[in-house]
Parts: sequence; C-alpha cells; structure tokens
Amino acid sequence: MVLFRIALRNLWSHKTKTLIVGGLLVFGTLLVVLGQSLLTTLDQSMARSIVNSVAGHLQVYAADAKDNLALFGSFEGTEIGQIKDFPRVRKVLEGLPEVQAVIPMGIDSAVVFGGNVLDVKLEQLRAAEKQGDHARSHALRNHVRRIVVMLHQELKNLNGLVDKAKLTEETRQGLVDVERAAAKEFWDSYETDVLGHLEFLENKIAPMALGEDMIFLRYIGTDTNRYAKAFDLFEMVDGQPIPAGKRGFLFNKLTYEEQVKHKTARRLDRMRDRLAGGFQLATDDELKNWRKLNKDQHKEITYQLDDDSAAAVRKALQAELKSSETDLVKLIVAFMDMNDQNFARRYKLFYETVVPHLNLYSVKIGDTLTLRGLTASGYPTSVPVTLYGTFRFRSLDKSAVSGAANLTDLNTFRDLYGFMSADRKKELEALEAKSGVRAISRDEAEAALFGGEGEEVAPEAVAVTPTAVEAALDPTEGFDEFAGVDMATGAKTHGASLADLTYTQAQTDGGVVRNAAIMLKPGVAVADGLRAVTLAVEREKLGLKVVDWRKASGLIGDFVWVIYVILFTAIFVIFIVALVIINNSMVMATMERVREIGTMRAIGAQRTEILKMFAAEAVVLGTVFGAVGVGLGAAIVGTLGYVGIPAYVDQMVFLFAGPRLHLLLSPTHLLFAWAIVYVVAALSTIYPAYLATRITPLQAMQDAE
Amino acid sequence: MDHPPAIVRLTGVDKDYLLGKVVVPALRGIDLAIQPGEFTVIAGPSGSGKTTALNLIGCVDVATRGIVTVDGHDTAKLSERDLTKLRLERLGFIFQSFNLVGVLDAFQNVEFPLLLQRKLTKAERRERVMDLLQEVGIDQYAKHRPNELSGGQRQRVAIARALVTRPQIVLADEPTANLDSETGNAIVDLMEKLNDEGTTFLFSTHDPRVVDRAGRVVRLMDGRIVEDVTRRAVGASRIAQSA
Repeated sequence: MVLFRIALRNLWSHKTKTLIVGGLLVFGTLLVVLGQSLLTTLDQSMARSIVNSVAGHLQVYAADAKDNLALFGSFEGTEIGQIKDFPRVRKVLEGLPEVQAVIPMGIDSAVVFGGNVLDVKLEQLRAAEKQGDHARSHALRNHVRRIVVMLHQELKNLNGLVDKAKLTEETRQGLVDVERAAAKEFWDSYETDVLGHLEFLENKIAPMALGEDMIFLRYIGTDTNRYAKAFDLFEMVDGQPIPAGKRGFLFNKLTYEEQVKHKTARRLDRMRDRLAGGFQLATDDELKNWRKLNKDQHKEITYQLDDDSAAAVRKALQAELKSSETDLVKLIVAFMDMNDQNFARRYKLFYETVVPHLNLYSVKIGDTLTLRGLTASGYPTSVPVTLYGTFRFRSLDKSAVSGAANLTDLNTFRDLYGFMSADRKKELEALEAKSGVRAISRDEAEAALFGGEGEEVAPEAVAVTPTAVEAALDPTEGFDEFAGVDMATGAKTHGASLADLTYTQAQTDGGVVRNAAIMLKPGVAVADGLRAVTLAVEREKLGLKVVDWRKASGLIGDFVWVIYVILFTAIFVIFIVALVIINNSMVMATMERVREIGTMRAIGAQRTEILKMFAAEAVVLGTVFGAVGVGLGAAIVGTLGYVGIPAYVDQMVFLFAGPRLHLLLSPTHLLFAWAIVYVVAALSTIYPAYLATRITPLQAMQDAE
Repeated sequence: MDHPPAIVRLTGVDKDYLLGKVVVPALRGIDLAIQPGEFTVIAGPSGSGKTTALNLIGCVDVATRGIVTVDGHDTAKLSERDLTKLRLERLGFIFQSFNLVGVLDAFQNVEFPLLLQRKLTKAERRERVMDLLQEVGIDQYAKHRPNELSGGQRQRVAIARALVTRPQIVLADEPTANLDSETGNAIVDLMEKLNDEGTTFLFSTHDPRVVDRAGRVVRLMDGRIVEDVTRRAVGASRIAQSA
C-alpha cells in the first residue's frame, strides 16, 4: 500500500512529466477507442451495404474458375466460369437450415448507344413519312431543319477561325454537305424525293451532329423478382418490376440520373446539390465549371427544340432575363450564366418552362433499349430489352458503388454473354433432330450464330418463341407446330420481338448462371453459414467455390482492412512514441531517485519491492489516464453515434450504408483500449524498473560521502 | 571481564576497491567486536576507511578477505536477499544526508521499515511510530514532509526510522556532518539518551565533539586501526557526564 502511495506521490510531485506522459496515453487510448469503433461500425455498415444490395452473405461460383469472383470489379480478370447445374445447387443449398435463399446471377457490362438528337429525329421523321402522318412529318421536318441550320451556323463560325487550306478533304466535303442541307432549295425539293433526302440527312449530316451518347452499364443478370425479395435494400423507384418470365431491364436510379438524364438538367441538379452543401458559385471552381459547360453546351437544348418549343422557351427566357434578344442561343447562354442569387429561381424556371420541351431522359420507362456487349468468346452481340423501371438500394441512393448495379433478367444476360439458354439449346436440338443436322458443340453453335461459316444451322432458326418450342418438344405433338412459327420475325434474332418473349420459371432457372448469392436466415452468422454451405457443396460434389461477401466484393471488401492497417499503424506509432517518452522520463526519474531507492534497499526493501513500486506507477498511469482516454473516447463515440458522421462524398454513402455513420459504442472496445494502455505503461516501465532494482544500498551511502 | 557475545565482529578484514586496474586498499587487517549497548565512534580523517567499515558492518558491502559476522551470521555466506532481511530485522541506519523519502511525510517515513517487515497491525505501527516521534521530539511534525522540516528535525525523523524496528545496532554515518553545532549536539544528546535506554550505536565521524562524547573510540588511519580506546563502561555515559 505504501508502495502505491509512493508511486502516487511520485507522479504527483512530477506533475508536468506526468501530464505529458498521461496526455500521450490519453490520446493513444482515445485513438484506439475511436478507431475501433469507427472501423467496426464501418465494417458493419459496409457489410450491410454489400450484403443487402448485391452480394448476399455468401457467393458461390464454379470451382474451376480462372479468376476470383469480384462483384465490384477487380484488377484481375473476370473469368469465373459458370455454375453447371444451378437447379440442383439451389435445391441442395436452399435445403440447408441456415440458408434463406439462393439467387442466380451473371454480372457483366454492356453499352447502350443513346443516338444523337438528329438521328432520333430522323428516325421519327422516317416513321411519320412511312405512316403518312403529315402533321407530324411536317413538325419533325421543321425540327430537323432547325438542327441542320444551327449546325451549319456553327460550322460557318468555326470555319472563320480555321485556315481553310488546312481542312481535310473529309471536313471540306462535310461543310459542302451541311451547306446543301441547310439551303432553302434542299427543303423545297424535299417532297419530290423524301427517301433520298432522308438518306442524305441520315448518312451525311447526322454523323456531324452532336456525338452519340454512349452509356456504359454494369448489370446483374438475375431472377429479378427473387432478387427484389431477397435483397432488402432493393426498392423500385419508378415504373414496375420486370413481369415474371419477361425480358426486361431495370435501371439503378443513380445510373439513370447520372447517365441517361439530359446533361444540362443533370448539371443543374448537381449544382443544386453542391450549393446545398454550402459551396458558392462565386468561389467554387467545380460550380463555375458546370456553369461554363451549361453555357457552352447550349446545343443540348437547342437541338431538341422544334419551332413551337423554341418559341415558348424564348418567351420564358426573355421574361426571366428582361431582354428583347431573339437569338435563342444567346438567351440560353445568358440564362445559364447563373449566380448564387438567382440560381434557385432559374433552376425552378428551367424545370418548369424548358424541361417540358426536352427529352429529359434519353431512354424512358417503357422504351426498348438495345444492350450491346461482347460474348465470353469475344463476339459482339446486342439484345433489345424493355426498360420497366428504375430502382434504388435504400439509403445508398448516392453511392456510385452500388449505383453501378443495374438489373436485367437472366435470359438477356445469357444472350449477351453468349450462353445458350436452355430453351435455345432445346430448340437447336429439336431442329437438328428434325433436319438431320449433325450435332455441334456449344462453342461451334456460337460461331454458327454469330458468323461461323458453312454451318448447316441457320442462325435465324434459333430464335423461335420458347412456348412454341415447348409445344414442339411435346412428344404427343410432333414438330408440326413449327409450321406456326413466324420464321420471318424469328429471323431478326435480336429484333424487338425478343423483348416480348415469355419464359417459364423452369426455363429461367434451367440455364447457365455464373455465380449465385446466398442469403442466410436471420441470426445465422456468416462464418457458420459459410461452413454449412461449404460442407454441403463438398458432400454433394457441387463443384463450387464458396466465399463470404467480403471476399466476393474484391477490392471493396478489403477496404476496411486497409483502413484497419493504416489506423493501427498510426496507433502503434503513437504508442511507440509514448513508450519511448515514458521510458525515458522514468529512467531519468530513476536516476534522480538513486539515493531514495538505495536508502530503501539499505533499510531493508527487497528488489521485488522496488519492482512493485515501479509497477504501481505503471498501474496508476494506466488506470488514471486509461480511464480518462476511455471516458473521453466513449463520450466522443457516444456523441458521434447520436449525431452521426456525415458522408461528405458519395463513395462514403456506400461505406456508411447511408448518409450518416452512427458509431457504435462497444464495451469490448473500451476494455481493449484500456488493456493496450496498461500494456504500454507496463512495457515502458520494465527498463527503468530493472535499473532501479540494480541500485545497491551502497549507492545511498556513497552519495552521502 | 566477561563480555556478552558481540553483535558485530570483524576478524582479519581487508577491503580493496578497484580503481580502474589499480587496487586501492581501503581496509587492512581489521579486527573489531562491538558489544551490545556500546556507544562507539569510528574516527579518522577522510579516506581512512570509516565509511567502508560501516558499509561492511551494515551488510551493504562485503569484505575482500576476512570474516564479518553480524548477529552471528557470516555476511559473506548470506544471499543478497538474506542480507537485505538482516538489515531490515537487525540493523538501523542513519545517513549523513538523512535520506528520507521525499514524497512521504515524517510519520510515513518512520513507518516504512515496519511496512516492509509486515509484522505489526496498523494500530500497533501507529502507536510505535508516534511513541518514537515523541521520543525524538518531533511528534507535532508527523504530517510534515521532509522538505518542510529543518536539518535537525529531518535527522530526528531518520533516527526514529532507524530505531522503529528495534534493531540490535544502529549505524550512523557522519550523522552530524550536515548539521550546525547546536543541532549536532542535540542529536548526539538524543542518541546518548537512546543508548542509555539500551540501543547500541556505531558512528563514523571526524567531528571532535562527537568523538569526545563517545564511550569507545576506534581510530582509523589508512585503513588500519591505530587506536581503540574504551573510555567508559557500556551505558555509563550519563554517569561519566555527571561525574
């Protein structure tokens, strides 16, 4: 007890030193508490984001996969093979008491070309001409003419700036073509040769207009309805789910906004969000840049306006700008030159008066979009699908990571990926049987489908409606049913009719999938689920790799570990510094106390008692400053848990599983931090304590001499 | 004359120090026995070996040659742990610079050896410490820290600390060296009084005032005993003074 008292008094009598050492210990403890709490919470929230949006608790994929599954992309390849017999996999795994659901997946990317405004308008014009809709044709003709005239004006302006001699032949020819298309004579003679004029516009002029919008999409081919049920963060925003058995596409709302929405409108949205975040147009470079783009890219608006729309927009802008200017481009540029004062009003005005005349989304719900991709073996392929709606992952609206996931049905995925869907395979076999064609392997079949030469199987024969095939395969019916198949429609393998096909659940399930997400029942720990599924996979020889969500998410899953390493390196450094400082100051203190310690030894204190005295100092340091650190840490974590750390950038939303991260306070973390402080205090006391026990009573005497 | 068995006995004791590679003899052929109740001074100029002799007797150093026995134990044969125990149980120390523990008050300093002994209850310790503080005349300063006490008061605390375990012999290394003469005399008075009550004292000093009042004077010169004079019988100081 007296040793404790001496230790306490010692610490007290060297207040400055004790405070410095204590401060370090408090800081270290605080960091441990905060860091641990932050990381654990982050890990949990990220797990929630990943597990409940894309990955599920576990993922399975082919055991013979060349690369590791990386749901969010990786630096390695994406050759993850395919699950051979998914229906069996589902049956076995869904039979396990731990498993809630098994959702088939195929993750890949595709490109959608938006087409430029002129292309779109010309297409509409052609259709109107074909239908003999004169009113519409007239309106569209005027719209096309407006665009061409604007294009001509632009090129003329540009021309003034450039040395004509340096223009390429192609550019020069382009100029001549646009000049022709913009001329009055061209439009006066339109009626005389409609198709010829259209062709000229489509082939010569359209490519010179605004570039095509290319949308890169990452999508998950899956059983969308099961998906919606299993992933509880999934939520439809607009439109409807893909009807059972139908082909279709669902945009992630974020992708839809970011990539499909009219660019000027999108930039204004972004400006609004950034202004709401406290930035100012007067000072913020990002905002200024968006404003400049809005002014420069006036074509994004003007090209979309026909005469009536242009007039309406002109009038609205004149009113807002209190201007009598009639040049729409100048009006738009002036309108877009917004500042902090008028932004809110003009934003509102834009949506109220300009947007109704624009194509706000280049692909609208209900439209058919053509997904273009490369098959596994590198052939270009395209599949038209209906856009049924948009969805979001609740609380992850702004996360680009989860926002990159769009959904399509499995059959579309299989087509894009070049897998023969079950029905197609059956069809093919049926046709072969019927026509006596030699059997061909799947690889060859693909070659046959996409340009293999000399094959007897005509590609158009493949796209028969599956219902028809079902009937055809009915042994009682024979193959006469083929007579009813519209081979002409079928011939457009990837024509719009594909979007109308209906598949049975068995057909959807039966085809190839690349990987599958496993949702565990509530309360089942991921590790337990992993063990159970792995055992079942081995027992049933399913030939699958089983990984948890963290492993499946590739780089993202490692993210928390990276932070862990960084944080703990920092904590380690701080504690090493603390250790060295405590050690040094204690060694110095020991040197100052040689006589005192020598006296104690002379009076009869054993070495162990001297050791105990130093241990007591360490314990007091650890207890007092550990408690302060832990207390402070708990208070800060508690406060942050209540208030939440805001996600400043969109990527953080995903990590935080929402707009704010509410830190969790765990007694384990507090105890752990406290334990670390004790260890540090103890470690830093070892050497000075050792020195102290080496002090002989003689030193107390000698000092006196 | 029959003597009771000596508390301390040095027989043919040499002590050498190594100064680099040079052997410096500090003590040469010392034979000395201290009887219970003696009030002995080891006198001599600086460097004559006074402190070395005291260190050997105080079990804080060991002889190079010869035998040192304390309370019948050959100190050369005891382990470091046993030597420490011997110091705690049988010896009391008074230092030239008092050597109090700065962070403890007077009471706690005196109590310290008793806590190391772990023999007495808290109440017993308190009683004994307070009795001693009263005896040395500073009971009113029990709650004072050393830095709040004068040199004489500190040495009184140190004396009380040396006596608190009721040792067989109290070793005092130049106990008056850091005190003015008046205070020094008062301290010697106190030690004489305690000696009369039965405590054996062994001083090292070159203070003539202390030497004059010693019952026995062992004079050292260059590490050898050059004089060993017993002036009066054990416990006879008061009688001698009054005579």
